[in-house]
Amino acid sequence: MKKTLIAAGIATMISGSAMAESIGATIASFDDNFLTVMRNAMTDHAESIDGVDIQVEDATNDVGKQLNQIQNFIAAGVDAIIVNPVDTDATAAMSKAAADAGIPMVYLNREPVNVNELPENQSFVGSNEIESGTLSAFEVCKELRAAGKSGGANVVVMMGQLSNQAAVQRTKDVKDVVGMDMCNFMTIVEEQTANWSRVESQDLMTNWISGGVEFDAVLANNDEMAIGAIQGMKAAGIDMADVVVGGVDATSDALAAMKAGDLDVTVFQDAGGQGAGSVDTALKLIAGEEVDQKVYIPFQLVTPANVDQF
Amino acid sequence: MVGESAAGAALPGTKKKRHWPPELNALIGLIGIAIIFEILGWVVRDQSFFGNIVRLKIMILQVSIIGIIAIGVTQVIITGGIDLSSGSVVGATAMIAMSFAQVGTYDKAIFLEQGWVDLPVIVPIIVGLACGLLAGFINGALIAYTKIPPFIATLGMMVSARGVAKWWTKGQPVSFPTDQFAALGEGMMPVFIFLGILLLFHLIMTYTVYGKHTYAIGSNQDAARMSGINVERHLVLVYSIAGLLAGVAAMVLAARGLTAQSGMGVMYELDAIAMTVIGGVSLAGGRGSLIGTAIGMLIFGVIISGFTFIRLDAFYQEMIKGGIIVGAVVADVYRQKRRAAES
Repeated sequence: MKKTLIAAGIATMISGSAMAESIGATIASFDDNFLTVMRNAMTDHAESIDGVDIQVEDATNDVGKQLNQIQNFIAAGVDAIIVNPVDTDATAAMSKAAADAGIPMVYLNREPVNVNELPENQSFVGSNEIESGTLSAFEVCKELRAAGKSGGANVVVMMGQLSNQAAVQRTKDVKDVVGMDMCNFMTIVEEQTANWSRVESQDLMTNWISGGVEFDAVLANNDEMAIGAIQGMKAAGIDMADVVVGGVDATSDALAAMKAGDLDVTVFQDAGGQGAGSVDTALKLIAGEEVDQKVYIPFQLVTPANVDQF
Repeated sequence: MVGESAAGAALPGTKKKRHWPPELNALIGLIGIAIIFEILGWVVRDQSFFGNIVRLKIMILQVSIIGIIAIGVTQVIITGGIDLSSGSVVGATAMIAMSFAQVGTYDKAIFLEQGWVDLPVIVPIIVGLACGLLAGFINGALIAYTKIPPFIATLGMMVSARGVAKWWTKGQPVSFPTDQFAALGEGMMPVFIFLGILLLFHLIMTYTVYGKHTYAIGSNQDAARMSGINVERHLVLVYSIAGLLAGVAAMVLAARGLTAQSGMGVMYELDAIAMTVIGGVSLAGGRGSLIGTAIGMLIFGVIISGFTFIRLDAFYQEMIKGGIIVGAVVADVYRQKRRAAES
């Protein structure tokens, strides 16, 4: 209680100027590269608009902490709250807290479980997660066909953290693509988690190679793992021209790997567009304008043909 | 290996009578696990688990970086302390050291504007060692002079160092090091660095005053003080070395992945502690050896590769890994009880 009051006091001091619209934002984790790009775009955009104050908190991947941060924002009387949820299943309580206080709320990047039952003044800004894994896997399928492997191709799948919705969804997308008539020549021979991590994926790839696993394509749930897989394959002397590697995220490291001819496919999730979009949506909700329940920022496929545009 | 571990049983504070050394239990565990995977290999995959050079290499390579941390953690645990900060120190050191190791051709290099790019490799190495040493020194000084429990002091460092890791570049990853820096993590280099450090500290712990004092403090701190050991100064030294080794691990890790990220090293401290404990080092202090820790490390390496080899689902991997850690400690407690009953 005392803590809440102090936090409220400090928050009012910071966002005290009379006419300003104050926005409180809580981000799942400051560690994550993608979320960092998104967060920076969000603060830059908010600062570029006159009379908008934004305060950003790090939820350090802790659901409980995030809920506390939201309650602190409410106590501080912010005009809108932006939430990048730690856990997309834990959003009902957040929606309720904000709705009870009558404060508009925007979910950012990760689709909340209650997205279809959101109250009037709440909205979701992000990308349609189903697109990313599908775009990547389908492009890999096309490239395997183009390489004349439509008679049969082995694929290995590297999954992100198993507790993460995106990892589950992207892995399912891969399987859906493999189930399509056009792509059913692909066989998933290995599927294992490397926890989104480059070094773990390097080790996993080496373990696979040591087991005599043969494959024509690597489908990773994110770019970090795709890069780790590439490093592992290179160390084993595999020619990167023989293997199609697909990731998701289009990080700057991944784009460099693509320009070097190692990475073949990735998908650009517009982190900056989402971050800025969340601020715009929050301002619209504050002004009482009509806003769609889901504001989708599209994914874009990145291949060596268009890599220079990113 | 067995002969060397016998030296551990003849340390000050323990009786001269030959005991079943804890390292031997770990070694038997390692061999047992190895045999299980070898058999499963023939059953499930129709091939040998160990008869494969690439696999033997990756088994050691994938745990050698945490192994470097574990060498420092072992010494801390032998003094009866604990170090929870290693993983976060790895994150912070990797970020800071790597930012001095970037190539000038990368347009997002952290110190591009200052022109601090393409620096000779010695610069990031010194910066990295200094970061690790500083973190360890703060841990040690807090524990020795404010008398707060090691658990709390290093817990504080764990949180703070992770904060430093994020603050340094505001969360941006730091990639594209110079070739000389990348060489630290290339191929089997992490293993060689690990082996060099292991040999060095094994000799130090076995044959020098430093080692004897470390065991003495862990066995009985008051007795050690009575016998004229400067306990405070020694603790600062032990924690500083642990921090320094976390710094080394950080640079090897960053060089291996060719990137530093603020989330690097999460949970490494727990893996390092687990390796140490599986290797027969007692959390009560005063007992155990680096050879044991090295065996504990190999057990980790074998099970990671083994699980992937027999295509065990990732969910079960974590469950079994947890079981092995607890099982090792149960065995240790049982052994201590039996020893107490004997004497």
